[in-house]
Amino acid sequence: MADTSRVTPLRAPAPAISPVTLLRVAIILTVLSVWELLSYSGWLYRDVVPSLLAIGRALVDLLTHGDYYFNLAVTAGEVGAALLIGGGLGLIVGITLGANRFLSKAFESYLYYLGPTPKIIFFPIMIMWFGVGPGSKIALGTLSCFFPVALSAAAGMRQIDKVLIRVGQSFRASTVQMVFKIYLPAMRHPIINGVRLGLGVALIATLLAETKLSNKGIGFLIIQAYSIFDMPRMYAMLIVLFILSIGANSIVGRLGGLDSIRRN
Amino acid sequence: MTAPAPQPANNDILVVDDVVVRFDTPDGTVTAVDHVSFGVRPGEFLSVIGPSGCGKSTLFNVIGGLLGHTEGVVSVAGVTINGPHQSIGMVFQEESTFPWRSVTDNVAFPLELVGMPKAQRIERARHFISLVGLDGFENRYPNELSGGMRQRVSLARTLASEPKILLMDEPFAALDEQTRLLLGDKVLQIQQQLEQTTLLITHNITEAVQMSDRILVMTYRPGKVKRIVDIDLPRPRTSEIVGSEAFGRYVAQIWADLREEASRGMRDEEDHMMHHHAGGAS
Repeated sequence: MADTSRVTPLRAPAPAISPVTLLRVAIILTVLSVWELLSYSGWLYRDVVPSLLAIGRALVDLLTHGDYYFNLAVTAGEVGAALLIGGGLGLIVGITLGANRFLSKAFESYLYYLGPTPKIIFFPIMIMWFGVGPGSKIALGTLSCFFPVALSAAAGMRQIDKVLIRVGQSFRASTVQMVFKIYLPAMRHPIINGVRLGLGVALIATLLAETKLSNKGIGFLIIQAYSIFDMPRMYAMLIVLFILSIGANSIVGRLGGLDSIRRN
Repeated sequence: MTAPAPQPANNDILVVDDVVVRFDTPDGTVTAVDHVSFGVRPGEFLSVIGPSGCGKSTLFNVIGGLLGHTEGVVSVAGVTINGPHQSIGMVFQEESTFPWRSVTDNVAFPLELVGMPKAQRIERARHFISLVGLDGFENRYPNELSGGMRQRVSLARTLASEPKILLMDEPFAALDEQTRLLLGDKVLQIQQQLEQTTLLITHNITEAVQMSDRILVMTYRPGKVKRIVDIDLPRPRTSEIVGSEAFGRYVAQIWADLREEASRGMRDEEDHMMHHHAGGAS
């Protein structure tokens, strides 16, 4: 079993509550207390800093209404579609550029220039092409996540140990076999990294686009709550989104981590 | 093409006939392999030895079908080959195991490519893992193995494809001396057990004499056949033979041939560097 290779470093038995945990809890409690004091002080305009109780109530209200889950599903679907389309295209383009010197020389500099451009500037065009609904969000997310995936795949392709390719050739592997049994597994680390970056930017682009102009999705709900000045509801949504982002990040991180047990 | 076979009653399984390889470089055309002809008999262990730069690795790639040649014919059992051929199994000098595959999956790789059912290919892989002495490591990954063990995985993987001819390019070059000798023993034992026709490319005289039935000595650039030496030592052999008197004589004889070529290579390299530096300074 590969498990036998997993080495767990020995640790001294941890005390019931470590000083670090204690400090963290203290910081959180301090922030919450200051928040609560501010909300009751009357120094700020009403509900700019709503009381924790109000936020809690809004949170329960949010999570017990199907409406929220519908919009969450819309956003998740948009990000998922963007990742699938943008990531898939990025992978294909990246592998092609990585495999072909000529194409790479001709086109890769465009990727480098377009890659860091904030994709939100294309949002008006996307609205014209794909409408106010999820279409324009998916398009923007796709555009965002295409670049990091394509660039990572192209770099990963060039980093493949040449001898592994020769091994495949010497065993007369077909092109399809070369791609699925050698190229893709050999570049799994850069690909996972690219997908991680791609997911991040797709999430940003989608939510940003939703807050700008939309009729569904979490970004739409947040900006809607803001526009009717329902601050507790807005904060409740931010909290849920925050927790979801942490969860998504750790899942993608786990994917990369699982793999590193095998070999770097 | 039109050149007739050297001997009509030739039962060589692998024939390299008048092969020439030229490369175009910025400094002009370089002939790496110059009219090389030889044959390998079934079950024979033939080594090709030569100094660095004699084109022996080029020859390895040409016979393996990974590199085209300019002139001449390479044929297996009378069939001309162009490109990788199933009769020829290559073992590379470099680290070539797939790091994302376990030992079993590495060895089963060629069987997977031809679509052998999973249960069957795992069984076959186990057989070859055992043959190279890696029982108990079936589920390990290459990063959990030593360099010598990884090279044995590569050997098992190539053997699993059951090639008529095992073609190896300095497979022990990256290993330390003791591992190299012990692994050499293992290869000898397997080769004798399977009666595996083997062509070994090497620059190590001891290794070549220890294992070979014949040794082909190549000249330094352009690579030609300088001499083919029959090694008339008893079989089965192990690395113990290294101590015998006959062994010493063969080593001395081949060194005499090689020495001339190696020193030509060294002079050539020095000249090249001098010109390079002079050119750079002007």
